[in-house]
Amino acid sequence: MRRIVKWMAGAVALFSAATAQAEPVTLEIWTIDRPDQYIYLLKDEFEQAHPDIKLNLKTVQFRDMVNDLARATATGEGPDVTYIDNPEVALFASRGLLLDLTPMIENSKIVKKEDIFPGPLASVTWDGKIYGLPRGANTIALYYNADMFKAKGLDPDKPPRTWDELYDAAKKLNDPAKNVYGLAFSAVATEEGTFQFLPWLQMTGGDYNKVDTEGGAKVLEFWGKLLDEKLASPDTLIRGQYDSFATFNAGNAAMAISGPWELPRMSKDAKFDYRATLLPVPYDGAPRASALGEGDNVILANSKHPKEAFILLEWLHSKMPEVWNRFGFLPASKVQIDNPQAPKIYAVFEESMKYARNRGPHPEWPKISKAIYTAIQSSLTHQSDPKTALAAAQKQIDAVLSK
Amino acid sequence: MQGIIRTIRDGSGFDILLLSLALIYLVTFSAFPIIYNIIMSLQTVDMFTIASFNRPFVGLQNYYDILSQPIASAVFWNTVKFVVLSIVFQLSIGFGLALFFQQDFPGASYLRGLFLAGWIMPALVVGAIWKWLLAGDFGVINYILMSSGVTEDRIFWLSNPDVALYAVIIANVWLGIPFNMLLLSVGLASIPRDVYEAAELDGAGAFERFRSITLPLMRAQLGAVISLGVIFTLQQFDLIAALTQGGPADSSNVAQYWSWQLSFQTYEISLGSAVSVLMILFVIVVAAVYVRSTRHEHSY
Repeated sequence: MRRIVKWMAGAVALFSAATAQAEPVTLEIWTIDRPDQYIYLLKDEFEQAHPDIKLNLKTVQFRDMVNDLARATATGEGPDVTYIDNPEVALFASRGLLLDLTPMIENSKIVKKEDIFPGPLASVTWDGKIYGLPRGANTIALYYNADMFKAKGLDPDKPPRTWDELYDAAKKLNDPAKNVYGLAFSAVATEEGTFQFLPWLQMTGGDYNKVDTEGGAKVLEFWGKLLDEKLASPDTLIRGQYDSFATFNAGNAAMAISGPWELPRMSKDAKFDYRATLLPVPYDGAPRASALGEGDNVILANSKHPKEAFILLEWLHSKMPEVWNRFGFLPASKVQIDNPQAPKIYAVFEESMKYARNRGPHPEWPKISKAIYTAIQSSLTHQSDPKTALAAAQKQIDAVLSK
Repeated sequence: MQGIIRTIRDGSGFDILLLSLALIYLVTFSAFPIIYNIIMSLQTVDMFTIASFNRPFVGLQNYYDILSQPIASAVFWNTVKFVVLSIVFQLSIGFGLALFFQQDFPGASYLRGLFLAGWIMPALVVGAIWKWLLAGDFGVINYILMSSGVTEDRIFWLSNPDVALYAVIIANVWLGIPFNMLLLSVGLASIPRDVYEAAELDGAGAFERFRSITLPLMRAQLGAVISLGVIFTLQQFDLIAALTQGGPADSSNVAQYWSWQLSFQTYEISLGSAVSVLMILFVIVVAAVYVRSTRHEHSY
């Protein structure tokens, strides 16, 4: 009986392989995009360029993606291609759930490994193999309200370059009577808090695996000072980047730390002269750092159409010159961008990308991230001092890393 | 065959049929998930092994891990505060309102019905509304408190670690009042009027009548409302997710939310299961107390 079933399954597989030439292949795609974003806008273009491949899109909420994907792979009902957030690639790759793209990329005429920037490349690499292609990249910088700078006698052409200058500017711009805070950022107890914190730590020589440092304590002291003196809203502790940034757009914060994804909304909501500059450094001449965000297109290891799926990934990769103007991503590989929108802000982010560092990679990244944002929160709420908080985080991180 | 049909139609077979239907339902939808949960709490489980039974057993290691985490005691006390304060205020305000609407005045029953509006709204929506009300910089509550001179400075309800838990409790009390009021109203309506009239003739004042008639006769309803309240409060997840996500710095984190965080934020599903098993044990104790306290109700 079992042999017959096996034989039949083989026959079906052969049959479908033979008909693959004639019948269009449908790829199941999971994405976090809304219908006015990335993959939805590209679907028709792709299907016209490749009439033999159809795309079936399904939107999954960003926060549910890892859970849904894990469940789907456990039951064998996963998509062919999906979006994965940078720090989660290692989680799936380390379990053999993603297709190793290394040989396909070597033979590809469109994707060149050397062209992908080191940060984004590191985010899709696990154990020396490449498991995805970045769909773009993002990083964070300091936005500021030039009109408020002028009103408070600050020179909008000389935005803060160091932490001291940032503190002074925040203090001058802070205006409780008018409901204006000096700075808006996010120290929320989620991945976003870790994302905003790591560049500050990296500028002082630390990293996700070395948080228990003098520099780390200095960052938390500095953040604590901003909150204690109400130069940033106490709600910084519970607001994500999107909500924090809304206060900047509304004119309730004079400066804000966030990424290029804010530009489309800002161009509608912000009724003032807004500009951007690189994240301030601890002191003049200190090394720069910035966060690396955005996600990757990956193929699941049990996809029945790996060839077609890679054609899609290649094609999406070829759209890299358009991602800034159309989707608000920074390119993740060396491409020429003509006439970028918001050219000055683009130039800031383009430079910032040089310093952008990947989070991890580590298959248990969520635990590392949780240790870090827990330390941020307990220090900023004065439940423990920065050193103790970071020492506790280091202990948890070491336990994860030594496994 | 004939015999089987006959016994099902009008014999003991019918009883067995009814019993087995109920049992099958209970086993599939209650016992299986609970037992599965207990098994997971004794194993090492992550998202990728959730579909297979073949997982390493680790004994009570998960329980040890949970209890030795630094935030375990904070979460425990937060949960106690959350449950006790929620119940005390839900019950006393709900009881007060029930007594109030028991008075005969025009429109009393319609107004009582309107109170249910709060209860039928999804907790996530209620949470979103309370988030606006309690917002630190631009919240309505802060505006009222400051313009009426109660406080000088803004209270950061959701981001001040000393206040966040109480902010969640306030919202939860508001959410629970209509349910308490309704159940207690039903109880009040079932107390015969003539008992009160007789007491009044004997010269008992309003307080005396409440103490010696209303309270004793409401004993069963109060017990039911309290134990249901404990269970509902321990299930309250949406409100916390919408308001504070357990923060800042876990200052408003309670057991049910912690269990979810462990399972779905850091993917330590076995640890999350262990927390929920401990919660089930606690609820069983509450239910047992309730059953014992109402056992002799039938005697009067």
